[in-house]
Order: sequence, then structure tokens, then C-alpha cells
Amino acid sequence: MSDSKHINHSIIRLVKGDITDLDIEAFVYYATSDLVLGSGFGNSISMRGGPSIKEELEKVEELNIGDVYVSKAGEMKADYIVHAVGPKFQEEDTKTKLKTTMMNSLKKAEEKGIKKLAFPPMGAGFYGTPLPMCADIMLQSIKEYLEGETNLEEIVVCPLDTREYTPFLEALQSLA
Amino acid sequence: MSKHRSYKAEKFLERLGQKLNRQMVGSLVACVHCGMCTEACHYVLANPDDPTYAPAYKADRLRKIFKRHFDWTGRIFPWWVGGKSIFTDEELEELKDIVFGKCTNCRRCSINCPMGVDFATYNRMTRGLLVSVGIMPEGVAVVSKDQWEIGNQMGVLKEDYIDTLEWMSDELQLELEDDTAIIPIDKMNCEVVYSINPREVKYDPRTIADAAKIFHNAGENWTMPSEGWDMTNFGLFSGDDALGGAVARRLYEKVSELKGRKLVISECGHGYRSTRCEGPNWAGMDIDFEMESSVITMLRYIREGRIKVDKTRNTTPVTFHDSCNNARSCGLFEEPRELLELVVTDWREMYPNRAENYCCTGGGGAMSMSEYTPNRLKSAKVKADQLTATGAEIVVTSCHNCVDGLTDVIRHYKLGMEVSQLVNLVANALIIPEKKVIVEVPAVEEVVKEPVLKGYKILVVDDEPDILTFFSSVLEDNGAEVLEALDGDTAVELALKEKPDLMTLDLNMPGKDGGKVFEELRNNPATAGIKVCIITGRPELRRLIYDRPVTPPEGYLDKPVDEDTLMLNVRKILELA
Ligand code: SF4
Ligand code: SF4
Repeated sequence: MSDSKHINHSIIRLVKGDITDLDIEAFVYYATSDLVLGSGFGNSISMRGGPSIKEELEKVEELNIGDVYVSKAGEMKADYIVHAVGPKFQEEDTKTKLKTTMMNSLKKAEEKGIKKLAFPPMGAGFYGTPLPMCADIMLQSIKEYLEGETNLEEIVVCPLDTREYTPFLEALQSLA
Repeated sequence: MSKHRSYKAEKFLERLGQKLNRQMVGSLVACVHCGMCTEACHYVLANPDDPTYAPAYKADRLRKIFKRHFDWTGRIFPWWVGGKSIFTDEELEELKDIVFGKCTNCRRCSINCPMGVDFATYNRMTRGLLVSVGIMPEGVAVVSKDQWEIGNQMGVLKEDYIDTLEWMSDELQLELEDDTAIIPIDKMNCEVVYSINPREVKYDPRTIADAAKIFHNAGENWTMPSEGWDMTNFGLFSGDDALGGAVARRLYEKVSELKGRKLVISECGHGYRSTRCEGPNWAGMDIDFEMESSVITMLRYIREGRIKVDKTRNTTPVTFHDSCNNARSCGLFEEPRELLELVVTDWREMYPNRAENYCCTGGGGAMSMSEYTPNRLKSAKVKADQLTATGAEIVVTSCHNCVDGLTDVIRHYKLGMEVSQLVNLVANALIIPEKKVIVEVPAVEEVVKEPVLKGYKILVVDDEPDILTFFSSVLEDNGAEVLEALDGDTAVELALKEKPDLMTLDLNMPGKDGGKVFEELRNNPATAGIKVCIITGRPELRRLIYDRPVTPPEGYLDKPVDEDTLMLNVRKILELA
């Protein structure tokens, strides 16, 4: 089964692994509205990226669900981190909010001139969004965005393990 | 007019309906309120006048919700069967304080119930329901997210894990003077794949080295995985079955990928229960390899003559604490005792023991929930009494979580005991076969070895003068130039002025505490490069350090710290051979 798909002149690829260690221009961090990095991937960002990221985030006002802020990535392999505040823990209108968060992430990344961007399974895992729903909304949103006018060349979706990878692979295959 | 129910309460009820199975319903309806479980609970013993700690009372909150919504009599006549729904987020918060703050899921009440009510199981389920709507203690959120996204409970990055294994491997080669004494990583087709608790990497790497020494001397064909290596599972504590499944699957898949024949699980109660007993179910997987506790592995090696031990090397009086998950949930209580017989000269039972033993009171993830610490320590009175009555100087346990729980109890009740694990005792008793020694003719000139820390400046920070003096003299004896600070402000001042190569830092100090000192120094470019080894007597404060958005400390030690441990860690941090 192919783990990639071309949409016009851009490509969507699945890469299994740790998104914070990926060799890519920018990646998305599923953030909280106060932009405190916290544990999990936030912990990796703090430890691998150094204190400058936190310093930059402290100057940003509290965000709403669906909002996005693009920061520098300190000493990480990536140049930018796209902090996207998505819905959490079965909250109301999860689907709509997730779609908005996806579209805003792509838009803000593009505005920064980013060409290659990686997404984790947005809101799955700790925040409890079911994987099939997550894969479906994410891939549909990416496809919709790439079908429009865009300079984004490559979107990587980066599941951490096979449990996450399999539903994304299935959703990518059936992406009409 | 019907009462309005919050969105979260709706979702809570919806999920409860999905979670109910025959076993759970059986437990929910069977209680006859006989009270036989009451005295079984360590929270009750510490709070005899407060009925809200009784297992049956705690259980009743969920039982009432169940009766109101899922029992047909309760749906029609809620007043008759005592059914009571849940409406507000505040009520959910109150429920959180019961299921996380007043119970360690130790299952002691469960085995004392004549009706077979397993309160701990549905206490765990209730935790899971709350977690699914985002209601949980902060510490539970922090640890869960680390395990979901970094792959282990303590947020150890892959590079740090590998680095620690390589460090321990080097130490082993040096100690045994044997180039083949290594820790193999990701070796294919091994007899044993060894999985550990991230606590071992972060706070207790000696246990990894000790295990490696045992595997090496047993001539085992073994390896440690580079990924999926965490055999602990916070899903057991948080009640999140999805996390339970994800974590277990990562480990199982790695063992299969390496084509390992047996997964050996290091000494950890909840890790053993999660990996060996609950994991296949959570992950929905069939497992095609064996799983074994390292306690059984070590016992097997001795019985099969693969390793030889000399128990006279462990003469200090020892007692044994049964981890709840090992003993009550998995029946693992005779093997550790058999092993103790073989490796120590004086070991004493504590009473009650085996499946009836009391919780270390740090179980069920309690060590991560600092808001409940005073209550937890109060409930530990019975554990402290049990420990004292043995007259032992060391308490041995086969669980990393219990090591932390007991260390805290011992400190709080000033018992002056040490905590150890079987792997440490077996390694200490291990008879290393003599190597053929080639006698070299001594050189005429005697080479005077330089003290290992010569040229290094080390700042020792601790508010206890005895400890300060002890650390200073050990470091000075090894050649270091030592500076001392009894409080946080002096520490910062000296660090700025003297720019030491390393500082040892106590966390709990009057005035500016160690956490603040650490962050201040890390955030100042002039002192950010000073290497820091946290040395604390309060393991529950660890999170305060690792949660700070600065580069983590280079080392971390739990008090009490002996000379060897201090020097081992200082050498590692300063990268000295
Ligand atoms: S022992 Fe069993 S039946 Fe008796 S009160 Fe406790 S849970 Fe209920
Ligand atoms: S499981 Fe343990 S802590 Fe919880 S109520 Fe029962 S005896 Fe008490």
C-alpha cells in the first residue's frame, strides 16, 4: 500500500515516528490555549529546542480554540513550530473545530513561507479524539487545502506507532 | 422542570453506559453494606472517625449514578433504590477527589469482600470516565501525556535512554574488566528481551547495571529494546484503557520485531500486572512470546546453577514489602521470598504479608498527585507501624513505585530504614568467576594517580549541615575544589561568582527552593552551562524540576546517597572515566 498521495503539485506523505525529531521545515504542536508547552511533545520541544521557544511563547496572548501561532523552533531540527489550539476531551463540535484548526494551521504555515509541514494525529491519544475520525478530518482538510492555490509542497502526517499509523494509511487509501 | 446537566456530565454518563460489563454490573449491585471491607483500607485506619473513607461509602457515589441510569428499578423509582444522578462539573470534581485522592486501587478491600465486590476495579473505571472528559489531577495529566507522546511515563527522550544504557554498559565493562560485558541494544533472536521502568533511567541506573551484571554472568543471550522499552503503564492508574493498549502494544510489537523468545519485566508491580496480565486484553493482541518477572528469572538462574551467590555478603537485617499489584493481583509472592532466602542471611517477614499486606500508600499513581500528599502520608501510618515492627534496617520490594512510596513513608515517619530491590541484593551476592590473572612485573617507578576530580570546582547546596559536610568531604577527598551553600540565595550568588563545573542541588530548602534556583541559573546565559545534579529527599518534587521549560538537570539522586553513588554520578556527569 502506498504511503503517499499527490494532490495537484503537492504531496501528502505518512511517516511513522517522533514528530519532534523529524527532519522537516516545520511541524505542528497540538497546543493549549495558554501556549504552555507542558509534557509529552511539549516536553520534547522544551528539552530539544532550548529556552528560547518558551520565551517567545510567553509574549503571546491567550488563544482561542482553532487559533494558531507559528514560533521559531530553537535548536530543534525544524525551523518553525506551528502551535495549533485544537479541541480536546470530547468537547462540543469536535469535528468542526478540528477542521478549523487544520485549515488555520495550513494557512498560517503558508503565510510564513513554509513549504514542508508535518502534523501529528491531531487531538488523538491523550486528548481522546478517536483515530478514524481524526484521520478522516485531517486528510480531508489537507486535501481540500492543497486543491486550492498553494505553495505548500509537502505535508507529512506523522503517527507515533503502528496503532496510529494503520488508520491513517487506510484513510489515505480511501481519500477520493 | 428537569435539572440541567453539564456537557461533561452528559459525556460521563454516555461513556459509563459503554463501559458497563457483566463483571462491573455484578460488582455494582452485589454490595450488601456489611462493612467487612472497611477495616481493610489503610485510609480508614488513619481516619477512623470519617465514614467517607470506607470503601463501600466511596463506592456508593458511582453506585447511585449506576442505579439512577442503568438499573431498571432505579430508572423508574430512583428514590426507592437510592439512585442519584450527576449534573455539574463541580460534582465531577468531587468525584475526582474520591477516586484519585481517597483510594490507591490497592484491592485490599476487594479481597476482603464476601460478596466479591471489586471496588478497586470500578474505582479505576470511574477514573477513566473522568479522564475521558479531561477531569484529572494535574500530575496524572502530565504523566499520561508523556507516556502517550514520548512513549514512557517520565518523558525520557530516546537519546537519553540510549546514553544511559551505554554509560551502564561502560561501567560494567570496567567493573568486570571484561570487554564482552555489555548491554546489547536491539539484538535480534535473543532468548531474553529486558524491559524496564523509566525511573531506572532517570533516578536509579544502578538497577540496570545490576541486572546487566546478572544476565552477563548467567551467560544469557539477551538484549534491551531501543524503543517501546517502558514496561510501566499509566493506563492502569488513570483508567484509560486506550493508553493501556497503546503502551502495551508498543512493547509487544518491539519484542516481536526483535524476534525475542521471552520478555523479562524488571521489578515493578504495576508494570508486571499491566504488561503480563492486562496488556494483551487492552491491546487486543495475541502474544507469541513468554513473559516473566525478573524475580523469577533470577531465581531460575540460581536454581539452574547459571549464577552462584554468596548470601554472607548481605548481612543487614531485611524485611520484604509485597507490592499490591504483584501480590494481590498477580499472585507473585512466594518467589521473591525464595530468592531472599538465597541471597541474604537475615530476613524477617512483616505482618500481615503476601496478599494481605498493606499498600505502600504510593500506589495507583498516588506519587504523581501532589495535592493529596498529606492525606497519603497520614494513611501510611499502618505501613510505618508494619515496617517498624520488623526491626529490619532494609525493606526490600520488587516494585519501583513502592521504592518511592516507601522512601517517602520512611522519611515522613523518621524510620531510618533503607529501601532496596532484589536485583541489587542478587547483584551484590553474585560470585564473579575469577579470571586468569597474568602477573605483571611491577614497574620500578610507582605511578602516582591524580585524584579523579582534580581541577574541578563543585558547588554543594543543601540546607542540612551534616549532608553538606558529607558531600563536601567526599568530593574534596577525590580532589575537587568545593564551595558550599546552605540556602538558595547563596547558591545563586556563588554560582554567578565562581562558575563551578558542577553543582549538587537540594530541592527542599527554606527561602528560595532548589527548583527556583535551578530555573534561574538555567535561564541566565552566564550560568546555563553549569552542570546540575539534583539531590533530594522528596521524590514527589521531581516533577517540579522536570516540568520546568529549561534543559533538564544532568543528574538526579534520591537521598540517602552513599559515597559510591555520589562519585559514580559525579563522574558520569563530568564525563570522567
Ligand atoms: S465487604 Fe463487600 S459487601 Fe460488605 S460493604 Fe464492603 S463491598 Fe459491600
Ligand atoms: S482499593 Fe485499597 S485504598 Fe481503595 S478503598 Fe480499597 S482498600 Fe482502600
